[in-house]
Amino acid sequence: MELLEFFIMGILFTLGVQAFAYLSIKVKMPWYAWAGLITGGLTLLFGIGWAGSSFIENVPQSGSLGLTVFCLPGLLLMAFIIRKYLPKGTRL
Amino acid sequence: MTNSKIVADDNANVHSEGLLDNPERRKLFKRAAIGGGVVLASGLGAFGVGRASIEGKIDKSWPDLADDFKPFPQRDTMWSYAGSPHLMMRHPERNEQFGRLVKNDSRYNFQLQVPRYEHKGWDNSRPGFTQLDTALQHAGWCPPHKWDLRLGAMGIPDTQWFSWDQSGVDHEQYQFGTKLEASNAIRSAARLFGAVRCGIAKRDKRWDYDPIYNAGATVEMMEGAERMGVSKITDPQEMAKAMQGMMEHFKPEDRELSWEKDFPFEPKTVIVMAVPMDYDNMATAPSRTCAGTVGDGYTKMATLASQMAQFIQGLGYHAVASGNDLGNSVAYGIAAGLGEGARNAQLIVPGYGPRIRLCKVYTDFDFVEHDKARSWGITEFCKTCKKCADACPSKALDTREDTNYTFGGEHAEQPGYTWNNHEGIKKFHSDSKRCFDYWLESDTDCGACIASCTFNEPDYWHHWMIVAANPFVPSALHGAMSEMHPAFGYGSTENPAKVAKFWNTGEGMRVNPTNRNVFGAVGRS
Ligand code: SF4
Ligand code: SF4
Repeated sequence: MELLEFFIMGILFTLGVQAFAYLSIKVKMPWYAWAGLITGGLTLLFGIGWAGSSFIENVPQSGSLGLTVFCLPGLLLMAFIIRKYLPKGTRL
Repeated sequence: MTNSKIVADDNANVHSEGLLDNPERRKLFKRAAIGGGVVLASGLGAFGVGRASIEGKIDKSWPDLADDFKPFPQRDTMWSYAGSPHLMMRHPERNEQFGRLVKNDSRYNFQLQVPRYEHKGWDNSRPGFTQLDTALQHAGWCPPHKWDLRLGAMGIPDTQWFSWDQSGVDHEQYQFGTKLEASNAIRSAARLFGAVRCGIAKRDKRWDYDPIYNAGATVEMMEGAERMGVSKITDPQEMAKAMQGMMEHFKPEDRELSWEKDFPFEPKTVIVMAVPMDYDNMATAPSRTCAGTVGDGYTKMATLASQMAQFIQGLGYHAVASGNDLGNSVAYGIAAGLGEGARNAQLIVPGYGPRIRLCKVYTDFDFVEHDKARSWGITEFCKTCKKCADACPSKALDTREDTNYTFGGEHAEQPGYTWNNHEGIKKFHSDSKRCFDYWLESDTDCGACIASCTFNEPDYWHHWMIVAANPFVPSALHGAMSEMHPAFGYGSTENPAKVAKFWNTGEGMRVNPTNRNVFGAVGRS
């Protein structure tokens, strides 16, 4: 189960890297916006990994708290940066 | 090559050239490759640093001893005192003082409660203490009770499983090519016989009980007590009479034994091994349920240590298996690089926390790589954490922030109160009298300080990550880390939900697709 989780996390990381690479040639943002976006993405993926393992080990409280304290801030950070720094009308 | 193949290859070339001709696409590929490379390199780097951190750092500061430090006489361990009617008669003031100060009853007596220990009835309205849980407790302890291992569990030396007999020593000595080869062979055998950790320490007289103490109890005496129904006696006066009768009938004699005159050889090496206890079962602490894994752990200590002693004897060297007898297992565990001493007075092993039991093999074989004490920042973490002390129902654990040479809990200032503490070594001391009193009162093996420990975690990557990160985390954050542990759902005690959860852990065992916690699973356990 844990190996399957690592495999899925690998796929998610690969897709994440490609999405960032795609975004980097489509939009121009200041370096700190990129840093924030990458931090948000990594936090989100870490939260998914944490929560996945916690659910597998049968400690759902850790899983749900993991989603709340890692995934949520990651998502919020990404949403904030996209709203603030992504040029209006950008078509991806 | 067929025409259609040539056409297909040409198309592919045109297509890929088109792709690479497109500067946007080239940029995309380049950035994805660089980004992927950076992620991979940082991931591998973090993994490498984590792995190195989990190996621990050689700890030259251990042990920190006071000038007047001396080896500890075994007769002053709690187990020896509680299991010895002779010591009861020689030191009635110990019972009296504890009773007066802690129990408000100066007629309090440890020894008179031992025959009834783990023989009390169940309570089907109390999760963890029902007939189901009590049956598991008795089943877990059944091998020690069937053999004389129950004596070994109380520290009595030279019993069937922890025997001093050297008749199995082969006349020919096996020669290993290198010390590493020898160490690996020993660790491989230990792994096969059920050890989850195996370290090899130099024999150190400071950690040996000296003199060794044999309380004199025998299997015949215990079986006689069983036949006479002593464990059913509830009245202390009746119990005193029954024990007096047994003493007259069986005439047990206690003895002190010397390493030089009585032990069969001069040990040079101590192999220290840890057997695991079940996470979900221990999570039910303090309860009868978790006595299942404790009793089972005692059995595994005995089989593992005696198999290893036999293995070393088969190689032509002297060897004696040891459980709680002969020496301080925690000190030897630290010396063998298995873990660190913690506030709950136990050894914390990275990956298991205190959820292990230790056994040892004393041998004169010394062509091995001896391990050294290591640190993972665990003792440092304990200075802030204190979750075990909060969870301890008998308040037996010292709550002072730092480690100390002496016990400093309640009544420590009373003359003679700390007779059971091995003072003179800087560590977290505890009041094992209070601890054992709670075991007797609750009729359990308690274990709350194991279940609640911040380092007691299931075997998953995110817990290993925290262990690996711990040495780098500033101590100002240790408090927050220890608060996060219960907040995330780990380490609660006296929790009926954990009892219910344990009783469902067998679900899926027909196939067990993860092989988790299963002996013989592929790779490292
Ligand atoms: S086993 Fe129980 S009583 Fe003993 S120190 Fe641990 S928590 Fe306290
Ligand atoms: S609960 Fe905390 S203080 Fe107690 S042994 Fe574990 S880490 Fe140390």
